[in-house]
This record gives sequence, structure tokens and C-alpha cells, in this order.
Amino acid sequence: MCDIAPDLRKGKIRMNCFLNVVFGDGRMQYKEQRMANTLGNLDEDDGIPVHLKGGIADALLYRATMILTVGGTIYAIYQLALASFPKKQG
Amino acid sequence: MTHQTHAYHMVNPSPWPLTGALSALLLTSGLVMWFHFNTSLLLLMGLTTNMLTMYQWWRDIVRESTFQGHHTPIVQKGLRYGMILFIVSEVFFFSGFFWAFYHSSLAPTPELGGYWPPAGITPLNPMEVPLLNTSVLLASGVSITWAHHSLMEGNRMHMMQALLITILLGLYFTFLQASEYYETPFTISDGVYGSTFFMATGFHGLHVIIGSTFLIVCYLRQLNYHFTSNHHFGFEAAAWYWHFVDVVWLFLYVSIYWWGS
Repeated sequence: MCDIAPDLRKGKIRMNCFLNVVFGDGRMQYKEQRMANTLGNLDEDDGIPVHLKGGIADALLYRATMILTVGGTIYAIYQLALASFPKKQG
Repeated sequence: MTHQTHAYHMVNPSPWPLTGALSALLLTSGLVMWFHFNTSLLLLMGLTTNMLTMYQWWRDIVRESTFQGHHTPIVQKGLRYGMILFIVSEVFFFSGFFWAFYHSSLAPTPELGGYWPPAGITPLNPMEVPLLNTSVLLASGVSITWAHHSLMEGNRMHMMQALLITILLGLYFTFLQASEYYETPFTISDGVYGSTFFMATGFHGLHVIIGSTFLIVCYLRQLNYHFTSNHHFGFEAAAWYWHFVDVVWLFLYVSIYWWGS
């Protein structure tokens, strides 16, 4: 019912129709505001890849993940080297 | 200006396959360090990076679909095939454990006493908590179907109620199964009975937790108006997975709990 020849790029059209049917105009504006403000401008053609497009929080989380994975890999290889040459007992 | 001459979604270059693969390395080597050297740092790093990867990868998929509109009907069809193939692979995964169970239970060796359940094993009564667990999962299958129909009909409140009921039933199952695990008179080390019982039911329980998590994510997305009445593949994928988990339990109940007692 709310899929008027859906232009899927414009998610807001889908949502507006749904909200209008269920809530009427007043609530629609409030909900639209909430949804639009949830993230930065994901629609903008600014060349930023999707995993960084949400802003500074994305970049921080990405860096933390990379540091942990790459650092962890180095640590794992170090432990492997350590375990490969067991120290003699006594 | 360039444009693609095919209908498929070419995603932006992403770091998550790499971090996912590295997290798998940390998980496996972390297990080795924990088992053999009693240190858990690597394992912890593996779990953390695994969770981080999954969160960000799926977050990006939600951005690409709900906010950028890349999931056209053709793209969605590919996702459907993908989910179906993944569930088929899980069917094969569980088949292995059922094979192991039937291999040992259909022809019990002299070491077991020549009968099943083996000597010394007191199996759980299938008419008690396991039967309750069966009814819980079957009911959750009904409630998730109600949720789906409500979603398709545009009934937001009913959809959320039904999905919440499904999630609560899933959590109830996990709680019941955990308390059963605590109460069993046998352990995983108790011969082939213990091994087959806990490997099969243990992996099933893990899948219930995964499925419940998937449903909770769907609930949060529904709260934020991500789904429409005829485009909600994330929810459908969760529902398929949930039904799969339910069916596996039915096989477990009939084979291991009921016939196996």
C-alpha cells in the first residue's frame, strides 16, 4: 500500500507514506526528524566509503578494530614463535 | 560520467573481511593459548575483534539498504539465495552430529554394555523440561509468523508485540536449557553418550542465542522504522533462521531425548 513506484534511493518517501497512513501528518514530521538525524548524510555523493560515512565515531571504531586485529595478529605470531622453541626444564 | 551496465550492488571497498579473517586467527590461536598455556588474552582479543567486525559489517549493510537504497529486487534476490545456501550449509553441519549420534547409538559397543543409553548413564526425562522446551520453540514459530503477517499488513503494534513474544520465548528456551545443563547427572566426558549429547545440543543452543540476537536486531530496526510492509528481507532472513533452529530442535528432541532414552 505504501509502495508508490518505490524510488528506493529515497527511503524517506517510503517512510513518509507509511507514517502518514499510520500516524497522520503531525507525528510524521517528528519521526522523520528523528530518522534523518540518526546519521550523517549517507545520501551525499562525497566519495566517503560507507564504513566511514557516519562521521568521527565510525573512524574511531574502525581504528580501534584495526589496531586490535593487526596488533593481535602480531602478538599471535610472537606467541607461536615462543611456543615453537620450548625452554629446557631445570 | 560512469555507470554500471549490470544490476548488482558493487559495495564500497571495506575493511571488514580482513578484520573478520584476522579475528578468526585470533579466536583459534586464542583457544590454543587458553587450552595449552592457560592464558586468555588472545582469545579475548579474538572475541572482541569478532564482535566489532560483525557489528560494523552489518551496520554497513543496513546503511547500504535502508539509507542508500541499494537493495533493489534483483539485489534482494541474491541475498535470498545467499541466506538459503547458508542455512543449507548449517543443515550439513548438524547432520554431522546426528550421524555421530546414530553411529554410536544404533550399534552400541560392548564397552557401553551393548545397549543405549549406555551403562551408567541416566538420561533426562523427555516428558519434563525437554517437552516444555519443544512447546516453547513451537510457540515461538507461531508468534514469528504472526509478526511477519502483521508486518506485511502494516500493523506496527502487533508486529512488535509478536516479535517481542518470539524473543522472550527464545530467551526462555535458553534459560531452561541452561538450567537443564546444570542439572544433568552426566557430563560431556561421560563417554560417547555425553559427547554426542552435549555437542549436538550445545551447538543447537548456540544457534538459539544467535537467532535470538538476530531477532533482537530486527526488533530494534522495526522500532526505528527500517522495515516497510513489502521490503523487510532482514526480518525474513531472521525468520527463516529461527524456523531452522526450531526444526533442528525437533530432530534433537525426537532422536536424542526421546528415542535415545
